[in-house]
Amino acid sequence: MSWMARGLRGGVLTTRYPLHPDEMPDSYRGAFQSIASANQEQERGAAVCLSGAIFPGADRATIDRARCFQCGQCAREVPEAFQTSPAFELAVVQAGAEAARERLHARSRAFGRSVHLRHVDAGSDGSEEQELAAIFNPFYDANRLGIFLTATPRHADVLIVTGVVTKPMRQPLLRTFEAMPEPKTVVALGTSACSGGIFAGSATVIGPVSSVLPVDVMIPGAPPAPLSILHGLWVALGHVLARETTA
Amino acid sequence: MNSARFHVRLVRKLTDGARLAWIFADRVDGLTLLHYVLDDGELHVLTTPVDGVVPSLTTHAPGADWYEREISERFAVVFDGTAERRPLTRTVSAERLIRHKSAEVSTVLYGPVRSGVIESARWIVETAGEDFIDVYPSMFFKHRGVEERFVGVPIDLAPFVAEHVSGATASSHASAFSRAVENTINLVVPERARATRAVLVELERIHQHLDSLAKLAEDASLSVGAATTFAAKERIHRLLCDATGSRFARGVICVGGTRFDALGRLREICARDLDAAERHARSAIDGLAATQSLLDRLIGTGHLSKATVKEYGGVGPVARGSGIACDVRMREGYLYTPLQGEEAREHNGDAVSRALVRIAEIQRSFQLVRSALDANPQGDHFICFDVADGEAIARVESPQGELLYFVRIDGGKLARVAVRSASYANWPLFVPSLPGNIFTDFSFIEHSFGASQAEVDR
Repeated sequence: MSWMARGLRGGVLTTRYPLHPDEMPDSYRGAFQSIASANQEQERGAAVCLSGAIFPGADRATIDRARCFQCGQCAREVPEAFQTSPAFELAVVQAGAEAARERLHARSRAFGRSVHLRHVDAGSDGSEEQELAAIFNPFYDANRLGIFLTATPRHADVLIVTGVVTKPMRQPLLRTFEAMPEPKTVVALGTSACSGGIFAGSATVIGPVSSVLPVDVMIPGAPPAPLSILHGLWVALGHVLARETTA
Repeated sequence: MNSARFHVRLVRKLTDGARLAWIFADRVDGLTLLHYVLDDGELHVLTTPVDGVVPSLTTHAPGADWYEREISERFAVVFDGTAERRPLTRTVSAERLIRHKSAEVSTVLYGPVRSGVIESARWIVETAGEDFIDVYPSMFFKHRGVEERFVGVPIDLAPFVAEHVSGATASSHASAFSRAVENTINLVVPERARATRAVLVELERIHQHLDSLAKLAEDASLSVGAATTFAAKERIHRLLCDATGSRFARGVICVGGTRFDALGRLREICARDLDAAERHARSAIDGLAATQSLLDRLIGTGHLSKATVKEYGGVGPVARGSGIACDVRMREGYLYTPLQGEEAREHNGDAVSRALVRIAEIQRSFQLVRSALDANPQGDHFICFDVADGEAIARVESPQGELLYFVRIDGGKLARVAVRSASYANWPLFVPSLPGNIFTDFSFIEHSFGASQAEVDR
């Protein structure tokens, strides 16, 4: 059987997201919320959070989504204070990035919305690369949105960085950024890239991407689902607004 | 025992046919210890304190090279001869690494940032046009210090750290870590937890093997083949997400069993989606195996003889592609009852052999998932336990091959965790696979290894 016949037999698999809504299964551990609870319960949740994403408060805790690596331990151990939801639109725009988004919006519109991405792995766990590659599989087909990968920083509009920045990757990362033409947008992909995740503060790493480059959009998740990545890119392109960083 | 006698004993075991599986170091009470892990069917750990210059094992087992270099750089242990070797874990300026310099030979620094969505690693390639003269890795750009991160983390949270060693094979890492801790107290986890772990590790094998095959198709510019294979992989991630809440099944496996009873939900979702996923995977791999333009690039490419793989201690599909029986699942009744029948093997030792091993393993893994789900052992998914001081080792057959974990618990806390990933064991074989190939074969050979850089650099 030819590849064409195989392809046709599979039918259309592609989501219409982000032009039309799509969703993750109900069981997906996407975002966590703190509900009204005693401070003591919130402290118990904070104690089982390996990346220190939970900050207990008066009637509910604050959860830093950029630090959360979606393990679900808080909601399992302290269901009185923490809940999980299948939300996947988790991207966050950094303060001051609005101008960059507008420039990218205008620029991509001028090119029929097409935008080129350059990826650099600064120290990931290997799964972020697979999820980023997945946005080009037939289920998501980012090409239909005018999103393409490019091998050279000279053609790139957006720099996508995965992983916490390790010491030896600082220089290659900076050089890639410097080689890109203006205007340029930086997207931190994955919890480790956004905040350092469980490696924040480790002596062996430099820190989150923002400690080396000006980050415009953060897409948290460990790893972020392909739909989360599409959403984050749509945010970076200025087509939709992002959510608040904390819940 | 003095160190000379210890070395003689090691060498005797190696010449008797044992495989050097791992060398790692630990520091206890100010003393540096070297642990040598040998495999003669069973794993044996031989330990010696460091006392002066340590004799190198590289003449008997070239695979010892990476272990010795890493230990000499991280633990300041001097191995006989390591001073002249290139650094492994430290990234030094490229000029210092370049040995040959002549008008005919050009040196290409390939990486750490390379084209496409790819993990960071650097290969230094010396070439006189198309042929490889010398190639050497300059890696550990991604060293995040995961082994150090384990220290002091409570046992119930530590599997999350193991999942950060390699997020794409999180279930294998969480299983191997958990099993190592369980071995320190001889804890037997409930049947139901074992079945759940087995299902998750086998589904992980399917999605990672499909990933390797899709990348080979991509290398051959076989766009439709790559898209079909990546889509088959996506079906496994969707199934896992629906059943466990994570597309890579993270946050499920823990010491003592699983964090929640996932088997019921896995049965439900697999009953609905597994047939379609298997049909899709089969369509993709049947198509790849019948596409001559892909096979032409793989046949004879990146050849490794059985003897070379044995010498270096290769594992997983890389070793099985060269005819070596090494599947941990055949020998240990931990995650499964030991597998019956023959393990998938090929004998030509080239990239197509490694791909065929992966294809056979995908089919086998679907069967294993079904049989574990059908067995549906009842009972608890978790057993309570008390942490006790001690140390132990454990191994699991991860998608890329044998994965080893060592843990030492002191004062009720993790004092040392060491990881020997399958990718680490196989990377030194990349260089001997290159002679006779040309530059454009590089990515085919690389993807036929299927290595994860994250689990090498840690």
